Amino acid sequence: MSKVYKDLREFLATLEEEGQLVRVKEQVNPEPDIGTAGRAAANLKNGPAVFFENIRGYKTPVVTNVHGSWANHALMLGMPKDTPVKEQFEELNRRWDLFPVPPKILPREEALCKQNVIDKDINLFDVLALYRINEQDGGSFISKASIISGDPSEPDNLNKQNVGTYRIQVKDKDRVGIQALAMHDIAVQLEQAERKNEKLPIAITLGNNPLVTFMASTPVGYDQNEYEFVGALQDGVPFEITPADTAPHLYVPAHCEVVLEGYIIPRVREVEGPFGEFPGSYSGARLQCEVKITHITHRDNPIFENLYLGIPWTEIDYLMALNTSVPLYKQLKETMPEVQAVNAMYTHGMLAIVSTKVRYGGYGKGVAFRLLSTPHGMPYTKVVIVVDEFVDPFNLEQVMWAITTRVKPDKDVAIIPNCPGMPLDPSSVPPGIHTKMIIDATTPTPPEKIERETQLLETPKDTAKWEGIIRGLLDNLK
Amino acid sequence: MKACPRCDSADTRVMVKSPVAGEWEMYVCNDCYYSWRSLEDPQVLPKFKLNKEMIKNLGVIPPVPPLD
Repeated sequence: MSKVYKDLREFLATLEEEGQLVRVKEQVNPEPDIGTAGRAAANLKNGPAVFFENIRGYKTPVVTNVHGSWANHALMLGMPKDTPVKEQFEELNRRWDLFPVPPKILPREEALCKQNVIDKDINLFDVLALYRINEQDGGSFISKASIISGDPSEPDNLNKQNVGTYRIQVKDKDRVGIQALAMHDIAVQLEQAERKNEKLPIAITLGNNPLVTFMASTPVGYDQNEYEFVGALQDGVPFEITPADTAPHLYVPAHCEVVLEGYIIPRVREVEGPFGEFPGSYSGARLQCEVKITHITHRDNPIFENLYLGIPWTEIDYLMALNTSVPLYKQLKETMPEVQAVNAMYTHGMLAIVSTKVRYGGYGKGVAFRLLSTPHGMPYTKVVIVVDEFVDPFNLEQVMWAITTRVKPDKDVAIIPNCPGMPLDPSSVPPGIHTKMIIDATTPTPPEKIERETQLLETPKDTAKWEGIIRGLLDNLK
Repeated sequence: MKACPRCDSADTRVMVKSPVAGEWEMYVCNDCYYSWRSLEDPQVLPKFKLNKEMIKNLGVIPPVPPLD
């Protein structure tokens, strides 16, 4: 049984014990200090979470870079902090198959997120130490919330309840903007509500168990419940949730730091952005949805957990790395058991590397088409590299070897114009449309013509023994 | 009250004062929702400047569907 964290605070305590959290006790300015520290922490190898205890003008603390290194990611999974990425991928795959693990519903009095209630004179700034993340952002942003919304036609269907991460711009003490892109689950629900000119109730939860944040940014099916995945990733331990106060059909993480309850105002769009986004550039101002906050619950001394985004890699790249790779792998594996692994860690899967056995000629391209037709791959992935099963897609030196020695560009590179694209990708023109590229770096297989026979070099049989000898000699030098 | 650093509108207001009294104020523009803190000296890049005409023509995300 792996280690399970009840809430963010237990995880932060573990990070601190493991030397993966630092505390800034001196007073800092909201801008530019907190955002800058997020960038700096991501620049360090195995960068720690950074906890700000004293922010000028605020009474509450901020923590950032909580997911921002492979060490922190491994600790989130209850694994040793030096666990290699490929092993973390394999462990996630194992736990993924435990889905669904139904959540445990706690009564209100047992849920720590209900310790304090604010239902009049709402002022987000009293509860959250809000700040501008990057210099050209249009205001303060909440970049790491898990937002809960229901399907208006089936509000009590927990499977269709969505837990997702969408960027939020603070517009007033009780009003925020939210980005609901057409490809995201919340947009499906919003459209139903707006067709009837009805409010869409939502709960914005902050300071969550790290696996909730992880699942909220994982592309799963519309009718798959994220909390049931959290239970699976907790190795079968049910996750604890509780009903929201103003919309009891919505369930929130029972022990999160803060819950902002309210609704998306129907059929209203106002200026939102710019915001420094995960592709490493700003997305400009657009007219986007508005949320009215009517009710807040929070723990005593609430911690505002937020995330820095910049030119990769920053915290968001660690958060959206394996949680993009695993669902794509599972979706391919369902119909193509030859697939061995998927590395979709680059810019939320805009580039994906798949290793597969090749059953017959052209199979590599078929695998790429399959990936490009998955719910996430269709809009996000624009470059697919397919390698043989003996190439580790997480080892970029091996992938480069496969490309340099397997690819004949005139037959192995395919360009497919006018496909769905990710609008935040600055090379997507018009935003939302893109060209796909497939690089098939697998070994040619009949009926494809084998134009030159190839004999791969073998690893000498005593290599492992010699690795031991050389390691011993190195140790003697110390 | 200062004009909006992004769209130059004079229609700005104090959005909030610091929870610890007297440390800062935060301002917001009623036309373009740009917000900034009194501790900052915002330098909005020319490419991110807006005016009323541009605001009217910004992209809409997601599109507003027809009523049933």
